Amino acid sequence: MAEKILQEKGLVVRHGSVELIEHWGIALSGLVLLLSGLFELPMANRYYITSLPGFSWSGDYFISLQIHYIASIPFIALAFFHLVYHGIRGDRGLIPQKGDLHASIDVIKSFFGKGEEPPFQKYLPEQRLAYVGMAAIIAILILSGLIKTFKNVYAPDMPLAIVLTATWIHNIFFILFILAFLGHIGAIALKPNRPMVRGIFTGAVRLDYARRRHPLWLAEIKRKGRCQSKGEED
Amino acid sequence: MEAEKISKISRRSLLKASTGALAIPGLAFPGTVQADVKEQLATLIDLSRCNGCVDLAKPSCVTVCKEINKNTIPAIADPIPVPWPRKTVEDWSRKREVSNRLTPYNFIYVHKADIVWKGKPQTIYVPRRCMHCDNPACATICPFSANHKQRNGAVVIDQDFCFGGAKCRTVCPWEIPQRQSGVGIYLHVLPALMGNGVMYKCDLCNQRLKEGKPPGCVEACPREAMIIGPRKEIYAVAEERIKAMDGYIYGKEENGGTATLYVSPVPFELINETMKKKPGQPDMKPGVERRMAGTDPAGKQALIAPVLGIAAGAAAGFNWLSRRKQKVQEEEKDNG
Repeated sequence: MAEKILQEKGLVVRHGSVELIEHWGIALSGLVLLLSGLFELPMANRYYITSLPGFSWSGDYFISLQIHYIASIPFIALAFFHLVYHGIRGDRGLIPQKGDLHASIDVIKSFFGKGEEPPFQKYLPEQRLAYVGMAAIIAILILSGLIKTFKNVYAPDMPLAIVLTATWIHNIFFILFILAFLGHIGAIALKPNRPMVRGIFTGAVRLDYARRRHPLWLAEIKRKGRCQSKGEED
Repeated sequence: MEAEKISKISRRSLLKASTGALAIPGLAFPGTVQADVKEQLATLIDLSRCNGCVDLAKPSCVTVCKEINKNTIPAIADPIPVPWPRKTVEDWSRKREVSNRLTPYNFIYVHKADIVWKGKPQTIYVPRRCMHCDNPACATICPFSANHKQRNGAVVIDQDFCFGGAKCRTVCPWEIPQRQSGVGIYLHVLPALMGNGVMYKCDLCNQRLKEGKPPGCVEACPREAMIIGPRKEIYAVAEERIKAMDGYIYGKEENGGTATLYVSPVPFELINETMKKKPGQPDMKPGVERRMAGTDPAGKQALIAPVLGIAAGAAAGFNWLSRRKQKVQEEEKDNG
């Protein structure tokens, strides 16, 4: 994580390349998993999706399963990478803190003109809560998906109780994953949050935005002596 | 020797064994099933023995199967909800008597194949039903796990969980499962938008197996053309029979292997030529591939993905620790 203030460029580096690769790797493979998972349901033919240009393959369950498996490789690997890498580094920025729930409600109220936002650290309190929610959904999807994959490849006669449990948990959390994804997109669509979108594409957010909304984070960066007046990279 | 073995493993022997009247080590099928439901079973269909019960109105296997399953399907919704947007309704409830193809009310039928082999015209009768594959795509990728491969080898659809999406029929190389609309759990969820009934097929009389009885078709066959027993023994008997008749086998390799072996005195290529694949009437193409096998390599890589992630995370994390340590040492050095 190369957090630093680039004074002359008027930017603050929010995410390093590793975090960007993790985020986009999981996001893009997750989207492919979501779509190919939908096509594992008998719906593409019924809803004439197979008639759409470029989607004739969607009715072939083996093709969508192959796509699902392939997309799951970076998805699973990056999820485990994330856990181990940030665990070793001791990164705690996204771990919920005491009072986050209450603070999140206040922040959401402020979006609708009720009250003022408190000064933020790098992440908003609702971001920390959402992170844990998404991480739990992803963890359960991965675990249940691995059981289903093991059954498909090695153990078609796995005990029915395990298969049923894994299948229904996978299905339920698949729906939760869709809802969480929509919530994530909805959150960044909110006007006060939009400046953060730049950060997840380029790694940096505007300094004036950070000064206004994330003063605690800037203070932390300064305390660590990561302020470059000439704007040069490391 | 061959005749003795056939006699030993015949359905009558197995049936007697179930009552304890006859004890055949290793072949005491029903007793074995009761003692250990995990034992894999297989069935053998000997086409040199089947005569299609030509003297009867219907083959015995078909008759008994219909009788056993006459109450399997509950009452059908009236009217049957029409699905949206594709308005496919499959209703066999008014055609229950059909016995010349697979339907939700008919899990086995007998195909008549008139062929010429070695210059002689011959008629071969081929009972057709679910093959109970070793790794059945119909079961493994059922989105609700309503279809499952049991430890005894039977592939069984749970009609209480099935939504009737017919995915199992699409992925089955023989398109065995058949749909009855207007019945099942989908009626209680979103009948117009999701699901379309329940899929039905032979379940190898799984309930009878649990009770220590052989499947109805096996028990009813007057010529002992069908036998069931421990998989290894059935496979061994099949090999002996094809050697003895200089014949051919089907089901051993097809779709990755199955728990149903056909043995025939004539090649299955010739039998297959008499079968035009139609709904409810599968063909018998030799060497049919298990399409899902193509996805296995990617599935195996997905299974090792956690190891890749952990290894990469550990390498990157310890590299970061090492660089940080080095930086601290340099700073301490600079500070004197």
